Amino acid sequence: MKIISSILAVILLLSTDANAFCGFYVAKADATLFNTKSQVILVRDGERTVVTMSNDFKGDVNDFAMVVPVPTILKERDIRVVNPNLFTKLDDYSAPRMVEYWDQEPCMRYVIQEDEMLDMAPSMSLKEASITGMNRNAKKYKVTIEAQYEIEEYDILILSAKESSGLKRWLIDNGYKIPSQAEEVLDPYIKNGLKFFVVKVDKERMANPNSDYLRPLQIEYTSDRFMLPIRLGMANADGEQDMIVYAFTRQGRIECTNYRTIKIPTDRNIPKFVKDKGLFGEFYRDLFAQAHDREGRNSVFLEYAWNVTPNFGMKCDPCVGPPPMYQEFVDAGATWIDPNNAWGSSIFFTRLHVRYSREEFPQDLFFQVTPNQEQAQGRYIITNPATGDMSCQSGQRYLKDLEFRRKREVDELAALTAWNEPRYARYIYEFSDRIHDEDRNTVIPFVPTGDNGGGGIPWKAILGLSALTIVSLIWLFHGSRKKAAVS
Amino acid sequence: MQTILDSFRSIQNLQIDARKFQIVYLGFFLALGTLLLDWDTQAHKVLIVMGTALFTQTVFIAIGRAHISSWMSALITSLGLCLLFRGNELSTLVLASTLAISSKFILRIKGKHLFNPANFGIIAAMLLTNDGWISPGQWGSSIILLFIIGALGSIVLLKVGRLDTTLTFLLVFVGLEYCRTILYLGWSHDVLLHRFTNGSFLLFAFFMITDPKTTPDHPKARKLWAICVALLAFGMSNWLYLHTAPIWALFFITPVNALLDAKWRTSRFQWLSERIIKPYIT
Repeated sequence: MKIISSILAVILLLSTDANAFCGFYVAKADATLFNTKSQVILVRDGERTVVTMSNDFKGDVNDFAMVVPVPTILKERDIRVVNPNLFTKLDDYSAPRMVEYWDQEPCMRYVIQEDEMLDMAPSMSLKEASITGMNRNAKKYKVTIEAQYEIEEYDILILSAKESSGLKRWLIDNGYKIPSQAEEVLDPYIKNGLKFFVVKVDKERMANPNSDYLRPLQIEYTSDRFMLPIRLGMANADGEQDMIVYAFTRQGRIECTNYRTIKIPTDRNIPKFVKDKGLFGEFYRDLFAQAHDREGRNSVFLEYAWNVTPNFGMKCDPCVGPPPMYQEFVDAGATWIDPNNAWGSSIFFTRLHVRYSREEFPQDLFFQVTPNQEQAQGRYIITNPATGDMSCQSGQRYLKDLEFRRKREVDELAALTAWNEPRYARYIYEFSDRIHDEDRNTVIPFVPTGDNGGGGIPWKAILGLSALTIVSLIWLFHGSRKKAAVS
Repeated sequence: MQTILDSFRSIQNLQIDARKFQIVYLGFFLALGTLLLDWDTQAHKVLIVMGTALFTQTVFIAIGRAHISSWMSALITSLGLCLLFRGNELSTLVLASTLAISSKFILRIKGKHLFNPANFGIIAAMLLTNDGWISPGQWGSSIILLFIIGALGSIVLLKVGRLDTTLTFLLVFVGLEYCRTILYLGWSHDVLLHRFTNGSFLLFAFFMITDPKTTPDHPKARKLWAICVALLAFGMSNWLYLHTAPIWALFFITPVNALLDAKWRTSRFQWLSERIIKPYIT
């Protein structure tokens, strides 16, 4: 049952989460294209950056093409195809998790155990076309093909351009379908000295040509710019898009420098039915949406941060899978990891989740590596009640405490996700019939508060700030009178 | 118009030490960030930074190097550190705080301290420890921030007569960014607006660059100096991709103060409490 509920949670989450990417898709056919969830692995070591990109391309692989702005002309050795399992592994390991505890039997001794769960698995895809003849007339468009590679199933071009209209015409004339809004961002990128990494797929070179599943591409470059050009990805996407960033550095967390980076609400006690009904995927989806709204729709969320150096010891609590090991770090591009020198191979893992839109994210995402080693994870706690004999005094006290605790859990659920239904009262009073009548008088009847918490007014903060303002004013003007008297 | 001028004058004539305003505003910003913007402000770290700064200042007061009212300056410096600077280790914070305050008494030219104390403390601790950092994104960007920081900052600046520094800095920096971002690169206006409504940038412009004790004394010199900071910050942010460019630019340009003060001589700034009670002790 646990396995079924876990799978259900994953499917629900995948089917409702719309995510995106830092390049844009262009297509030859008129197929309707959607950017969905995209995932990026970022490795930053000094000025060396390794970016691994995975996305959910939906449609015929033949129609896939991708354009990504890059700061340098990439060499063939700087471009690789990586195993998609890498994303699955990093996602499974760092995703927000549910932890389960069991209450002690109040009238006897007990058992403890921990359990898990998580969300989001990745998926991805891509497409094909011929490069033949592209060099022809490139000059008249003021477009230069700086390099051209065939890497496994991918045909890759590195373009530089003098002006956006030329680049746009070149792409269209060579069979790419360009979103109409693309030009306004192509121009700034060109003038800022960025090159364009253009990718198509040769279906014949695919290991399984009938598959519409495409493997992630990895690029490596050295540049002082540590950023993801999300603006280009907005050119062919409507509304908000989601991106998960898995980042590895030697020193500590990465954080966004031009948007707020904040922790996702964590360590919250939530009702047990979230697990029993297989709702964790939906729960986290709605929690994220609520947090995103509350923070003004313009923030980056931290979902996991931990020192994952192989010999570091505990790397999560609880861990939802085996931690990434040497090979995964090296595959991701963290080549400083040396299995023979465990102490010299410090590596820090940051997982960021950003939901962005054109209106709230006018700038690309810029990052910095910080020495911040503080660990963080999205963690939600389920507590299973004791179900044994409750006739003793402490058993009766336990049942009353359980009602209060469950009321708090339901309140917490409402605050986190805005889920707020009268039927949750049944959950609160599930064991109330076992409370003896003479002990019942202290139980407070529960009515859902109607407070959606997360989206509401932060009264505590307002009260605190008001108190501070009053004290400050008294201090300021008290001093003022004294000074006037002296002068 | 007359009403606006009158209110400017009444702010300038208020018999309140401008440092009190600064303490109140910086404290308010710290509370705002912690309560509303989910900063990881840890109470023990705030207390350590403030405690260290006040202790260091007390030592210098005790040995007769500072006026008794200068505890307010130390509190402002420590609030500035709490707002801008982060460190894993307590020792990093203690170091930043100690160096910030000590720099006022050790790095002096003709009786005037050279560096903005918070700026010096931050840069020195980052260079010496590899454990400190600044989070320029912690405020996010918002028109509301421009309004709050701009309005509160202007009150202090009117009182200390340093509004010219901020306006010159903003004018030059925003002007250059406008030319590059909009006219040259071709980004839309909201990109520029997003950059200039960043809370960290505004705090720098209204509260750090304007420290009356470490800006040149003569108005002409101050404007020239603000232009230099703006030019360097613009260059560092656009070509070195340094996200904390203004703070570094201020650090590097500060030594020029001494030259500017030597060229344009005028009376030195004194806080109200120093003027009322007794002359500043150097």
